[in-house]
Formats: sequence, structure tokens, C-alpha cells
Amino acid sequence: MSLWRLEWLRLRRTWRGVGLLAVFVFFGLLGPLTARYIQEIIERFGGTEGVQVTFPPPVPADGMIQYLSNAQQIGLLAVIGVAAGALSFDATADIAIFLRTRVSSTARLVLTRTAVYAAAAVVAFVAGAAVAWYETWALIGLVPADRFLIGTLFGALYYVFVVAMVALAAGLVRGSLGTMVLAFAFVVVPQVTVGLVSTARPWLPGHLSSALAPLAQGTAEAGDFVRATVLTLAVIALALMAAIRLLDRREV
Amino acid sequence: MTAEGGRPPLAETHGLTKSYGGHAALDAVDLQVAEGSVYGLVGPNGSGKTTLLSILAGLRRPTSGTMRLGVARGAMALLPDTPEFEPWLTAFEVVDLARALVNPSIPRERVTDVLVEAGLRDAIDRRAGGFSRGMLQRLGVASTLVGDPALMLMDEPCSALDPMGRREVLDLVASQRGRRTVIFSSHILSDVQEVCDTVGILQRGAMRFQGPLQDLLTGNRTPGMLVRVRDSAEEVARSLATEPWVTSAVAIAVGEVRVGVRSTDEAERELPGALARAGARLVSVRPEEASLEQVFLEMTR
Repeated sequence: MSLWRLEWLRLRRTWRGVGLLAVFVFFGLLGPLTARYIQEIIERFGGTEGVQVTFPPPVPADGMIQYLSNAQQIGLLAVIGVAAGALSFDATADIAIFLRTRVSSTARLVLTRTAVYAAAAVVAFVAGAAVAWYETWALIGLVPADRFLIGTLFGALYYVFVVAMVALAAGLVRGSLGTMVLAFAFVVVPQVTVGLVSTARPWLPGHLSSALAPLAQGTAEAGDFVRATVLTLAVIALALMAAIRLLDRREV
Repeated sequence: MTAEGGRPPLAETHGLTKSYGGHAALDAVDLQVAEGSVYGLVGPNGSGKTTLLSILAGLRRPTSGTMRLGVARGAMALLPDTPEFEPWLTAFEVVDLARALVNPSIPRERVTDVLVEAGLRDAIDRRAGGFSRGMLQRLGVASTLVGDPALMLMDEPCSALDPMGRREVLDLVASQRGRRTVIFSSHILSDVQEVCDTVGILQRGAMRFQGPLQDLLTGNRTPGMLVRVRDSAEEVARSLATEPWVTSAVAIAVGEVRVGVRSTDEAERELPGALARAGARLVSVRPEEASLEQVFLEMTR
């Protein structure tokens, strides 16, 4: 059995893979529904006596925006939680000893797990986006396929970045919970601090997470995300190098 | 340099020290483990056994000192005292993973062989999550053996086993002598005495003794004789205690006296006369066989 198969079995037998997929597909189904029927939902369940709330007629981009708003919150937490459970290499010392005394290098261990969990996050995000795109087409109208594909690609890269942040956090702390909290901070803090500066925002990895929305609306082009893509790729590489070095030096 | 018996050392350390804050978990340990030997590492809880094995396995770094291993890291395997595995893997998958990581060229059939050898024939396809501690220990042994390591580091391998499992692991460890080198830590001293040819005694991080087991048993303990008489053991003990060459005389059972002596040679010459003077009706006299436990207690007291 290879390390790749080990991680595949972990995803399958612990239901982490299915769980992750379910979260994103659920929001993929829910997003366009909400966008299409928001007026009816408010009238039926949220109406206030004497107050008439009127929404503009939904446009196709609204389906994708609704999907992204959910994926960026619950989906992000799910990715961090699932990845932290697997990437906290030394959370259980005796399990860590089994692998650490047998693998030829820590890099092999870190890169395999990061790759598998990044792939799982990407598959889940893309599956949810595909469901949202199809349902948006059925209920509201078509988001151009090329714009959908490019936006989804940027979103997928964002989730690779998120998993790389989890790997870095796992290099700094041992426990799964600590890894989760630290990874969440790595992902969110730059967004809510540096991201407030309008000139810095286009550089941040978080800029990629919602790329699908302006691309679907037609208010942005792929070139608007090049800076964030370059910086995100660099951060991913640096985070993985740091994680390998930290885990290599850690005593068990 | 050679270790015990003229064999070259497969693992050796010089002045190996490991400190945590101001506390020295290991204090200038000079370890020498001869190739092909079964080396027993004994010591009270907290004496540094696990720390020493962890450093040898590359899981921890020494604060100072040097270490030399005559084998590559991949040819060494560590069995921790409480082995744990991913609970969702079957026993076969755990051992197969160990095989593939250590040496993928080892045939897969070897996985079943070592599981059977470790006594897990009926649990091969069961998930490790449902295993008892003893079964996990056996699984640990199997995943250690599958890579055919030249150096096995076993930290308390019998601690969770039932008597039959303990017997099997001890036989397995003893059978490795000459085939591979084993460093076996245990606080069950009778186990160490049974399977090890060389012993190292650690106390508070320092190596108190290192050498052949026989040297330890014969050279580090107050010699003694066991005397059986038909009379009152207490009276005979009181009489023998007055002899100048006797260091202690204690009635240890009905009609049985343990006589501590300055030397066995002196006792062999003087004891018959002393017993005659005591008017004792002698049944038997024999030199007391030292056990590792007795020697260990005397050394670490």
C-alpha cells in the first residue's frame, strides 16, 4: 500500500471525502434555488406586516453568487476541518512514530497528504459549482461556460491555498483543533486586514475565492486575477516548504 | 572499536545527553550494542529508556554527544510501548503499508507470514480500531518484522500482553539473536534476564552498568548461600550472624536461611564448620543464584 492509497482510504473510510463533497454540492443546489425564489421565500416566511420587500428579477450570476457566499463560509470551515484532521501528523504520537520511522523523507509525507486533501477540496468545490451552474441555467439562465470555467479554476486554486495553510499550521502546532484555528487565522486575517486596502485586495489569495461572481456578472476579466494567482502560487510553495522544514525538525 | 564478545558495535553513543529545560533525561550515556546481540535496556520509570530509543530512531535530537549507527535508517525499526495505528486500516493493510514504505521489493506474501508469526492469523482482515492493547502490540511486532530490519528497537514490547502473548514475543526476541540486533527495553527484569545477552542499566538518565548479563549477575551482587536445615531457621541464622565472614543471615522460610557472605570462596571453606558449631542438622547448601531483579534493586537502591 502506498501513501497515496493510505490517504484515499482515509478520505473514503472516515467519510471525510463524502462529507466535504456533500457540503459543497448541497450549497450548489441551494444557491440557485435561493437566488430564483428569494422573493417568494421572503413573502412566505420573512414578511413583515405592512412592509413590501421587492427584489429585482434574478439574473444568472445571482445563482453563482449565492453558491459562493455559502461556500466561502461553511465550505471553507469544512475544508479546514477535514484537512486539519489529516494533516495534523503528530496529533497522535504513536501513529506519527509508525510513519515517521518508515518514510524516507518528511517531504513525501507532507506533499502526499497536502495533494490528496487539496484535490478533495478542489473536487468538492468544482462539483458544487457545476451543480450550481447547471441549476442556474435551468432556473434563471446561462452563465457563459468559459467565464464559469475560468472562475471555477481561480476558486479551485484558492482551496489549494487553504489546504497549504492547514499544512503550515500543522507544522506549527500538534493538535487538530489548534491546527484548525491557526489555519483559519492564516486564511481570514489577511483578508480582513490587508484586504481593506483597495490597492492590496487584488493581490490577495482571497480575491480568487469569489472570482466566479464578477466573471459571471461580466464585471471582471480573467486578467484581473493574475496578480492574486501569482501571489497565491508563491504563498503555496513557501507554505509547503516551511511545513516540511518545521515537521522535519519536530521531535516526537 | 569492538563491543562485547569482540563483535563490532552496530550502535554506539558517546556522552549522549538530552536535556529538557534544566532536567537531563539522558546524562552522558555511552552505549555500545554489539552486532547480532539482544541488548536489554532496563531502568526504573523515567530513567530515560524511551528517550534513548527515540534518539536512536531519529525521532528526537540529542542535546550533546555523538551517535553512530552501523545501519541505514531504513534498516532500523522502532516498536513503541503503546503502538497505535489508523483505526480504519485492517491488520493486513497496516503491515502492508509498513512493507511498502520500508522496502517495496519485499513480496506481499511476507505480510501474511509475519501476521501469522505475530499471532494475528484470525484478525488479518479486521480493522485495528477494534483491537485490544495486546493485539495492537502484536500488530506492532508484525509491522516491525515485515521490513526485515537489521536493528530492532523494542520499547517494552511485552507490557500489554497476556502470559501466552508474552511468551511468544520473548521467544521471538530470543530467536533474533545472531540474525539481527535487538535493543529491548523492559521493566520486567525476568524477561530481560531470559532473552538478553547484554544489559544496560539506566538510572536517572545515567548508565549505571553496561556489559554481559553474566558479568552483571556474578560481579555486582553480594554473594550468598542458601542453607536448608531441619532445625529452627531463626536459631541457625542467629548463630551464623556472629561469624566474621558473614555479612547477613536471614531466615527466609521454614528451615531455610539466606547467608550473605564476604566471598563465595570463604563461605565454601567456613560454612560447614559454622553449621557444625551451631549444631544444625544440615539438609542442603547451595550458592544463591543471583537474579537480575536482585542485582538491579541493589544497584539502584
